[in-house]
Amino acid sequence: MSNLHELYGRRGRIITDQDAQEISRVEELAYDLKICQVMTSQVKSVPPNISISNVLEILRLGRISGVPVIADGALRGILSIEDIVRAMEKNELGAPVSAYMSREVVSVNGYDPVVKALETFSEYRLGRLPVVDEHHQLVGIITKGDITRGILTALQKDYKEEELRRYRASHLFDDITSDRTSLILRYNIRARDYLNGGQASSYIKRALLRLGASPQLARQCGIAIYESEMNLIIHSDHGGTLRVQIEPHRILMQTTDDGPGIADLTKALTPGWSTATQDVRDMGFGAGMGLVNIRRCVDKMELDSAPGKGTRLLMEILLRPEDRFKEPADPEATL
Amino acid sequence: MTLQEIITQLNLTVLTAPHPPARIKPTGGYASDLLSCVMAGAKPGNLWITIQSHINIVAIASLNDLAAIIITENSIPETAVLEKASQQGVTLLGSSENTYQMAGKLWELGIR
Amino acid sequence: MNTKELAKLINGDILTPEIPLNREIKGGCGADLMSDVLASIKPEAVLLTGLCNIQVVRTAQMADVRAIVFVRGKMPQPETIELATREQIPLVTSPFGMFELCGRLYMAGLHSFETPLPNQDENVQSA
Repeated sequence: MSNLHELYGRRGRIITDQDAQEISRVEELAYDLKICQVMTSQVKSVPPNISISNVLEILRLGRISGVPVIADGALRGILSIEDIVRAMEKNELGAPVSAYMSREVVSVNGYDPVVKALETFSEYRLGRLPVVDEHHQLVGIITKGDITRGILTALQKDYKEEELRRYRASHLFDDITSDRTSLILRYNIRARDYLNGGQASSYIKRALLRLGASPQLARQCGIAIYESEMNLIIHSDHGGTLRVQIEPHRILMQTTDDGPGIADLTKALTPGWSTATQDVRDMGFGAGMGLVNIRRCVDKMELDSAPGKGTRLLMEILLRPEDRFKEPADPEATL
Repeated sequence: MTLQEIITQLNLTVLTAPHPPARIKPTGGYASDLLSCVMAGAKPGNLWITIQSHINIVAIASLNDLAAIIITENSIPETAVLEKASQQGVTLLGSSENTYQMAGKLWELGIR
Repeated sequence: MNTKELAKLINGDILTPEIPLNREIKGGCGADLMSDVLASIKPEAVLLTGLCNIQVVRTAQMADVRAIVFVRGKMPQPETIELATREQIPLVTSPFGMFELCGRLYMAGLHSFETPLPNQDENVQSA
């Protein structure tokens, strides 16, 4: 990927995380974007029999540095400023294009990814490449500038889409007026479904980020809810439900199941105590740290359980002022 | 390097010492919290690093003739575990550091 | 160091070729107990683990882990690789055991990214 670094250069500067993320997206785009999506398609071309002085005029007017030479629709060569300079040195500006054009033309296919053009630029030390279709017909021309512009436009589009999604979600509380707004997410969790365990937690974490939660808050909630989701999967008889209630000032999370229930709540809250089987332990769970972990992540935790009755775990996180979700201004608050 | 030297250099807490640590020379290190992996992978005379303080670690160390167990992150075992370790001749050491740091420092001391 | 440099250091094979490998890894953590990881790992670290089930990826996602290294050449199931690819968490498998991995990375200057006390992420980020 040295081409990319050359283009979007590190310039001796230390790369920040933000930069690194952007660079990786640029690399992805270099593979995702097709050459035909970023090339210039309205290409000026010349026939091989006109004089070089005519081409000089075309280049000057179009502010371009080279032009493809076409005969019978097919690409025959390229005449660039360097070729014209050679003609000038010999005082042969009146000669036909065919006498000075470069005939060994390196071209790229429009359906190749942009990275292919970058590789070709660097391999042949070229600044521009004609783009052809599968019948070797000229369809456009591509320069490093086209690629930079294409990638920047795509990046901007990406950014706008995610921003828009985030913006819409983060204004949810702002846009709706009520005495008490809350958003409730509910998931059914199946017992022993180790393969999908954590899926609900992952949706919840993403929802919080979209709503504008800080990464730390999303992480804190994610960890607490994931531990409790795994508890449902590992310990419940018939699975259970996971409910998250998001309010401007707090997040309430709750898991409920209908059994078997916990015989000794004090023991259940002791670090290292677990009733998990060896199978579960070999999966990295059941070390008796889940509830301890949850307690560290939340402001308030209530565990309610009895054998044969089921278990309810309630977790509450109070949001610090900077973490609160936006709300409409309360008209009465000014009184 | 003897276990006593390691204890001194890494500032380990001795939880049980049924054999004099100055006479034990660990053959290498092994880190894992999965008991089945330790059963399969740890070699006799190894130092085992884990955060587990469950009673089963004593049986594993004894079955595998491990030099000692270093329990990380101040995860202090219950009295029953300490008693069983003393009975079965298993040396238990404790540290406030985590598994990653402990393995790194042992590696630095030349334990492989 | 980034994931690519890390993989080279531990003779690792990259299992998720579609994910860019240039995000900075700020520290290391070695653990097989997922609750231990969730309790102590700081964001943006590499997780060295002997487990290779799908929950490792979920745990990593919750704890903002930057990359996962499986010890002793362990190979995860295809669905684990798929999930990691979707969640953009690079997976590496290394022939070394946990002890040697910790040792090598520690000696290479990658310091520990586990915190003995939970909820200290704020302090970590300003440090």
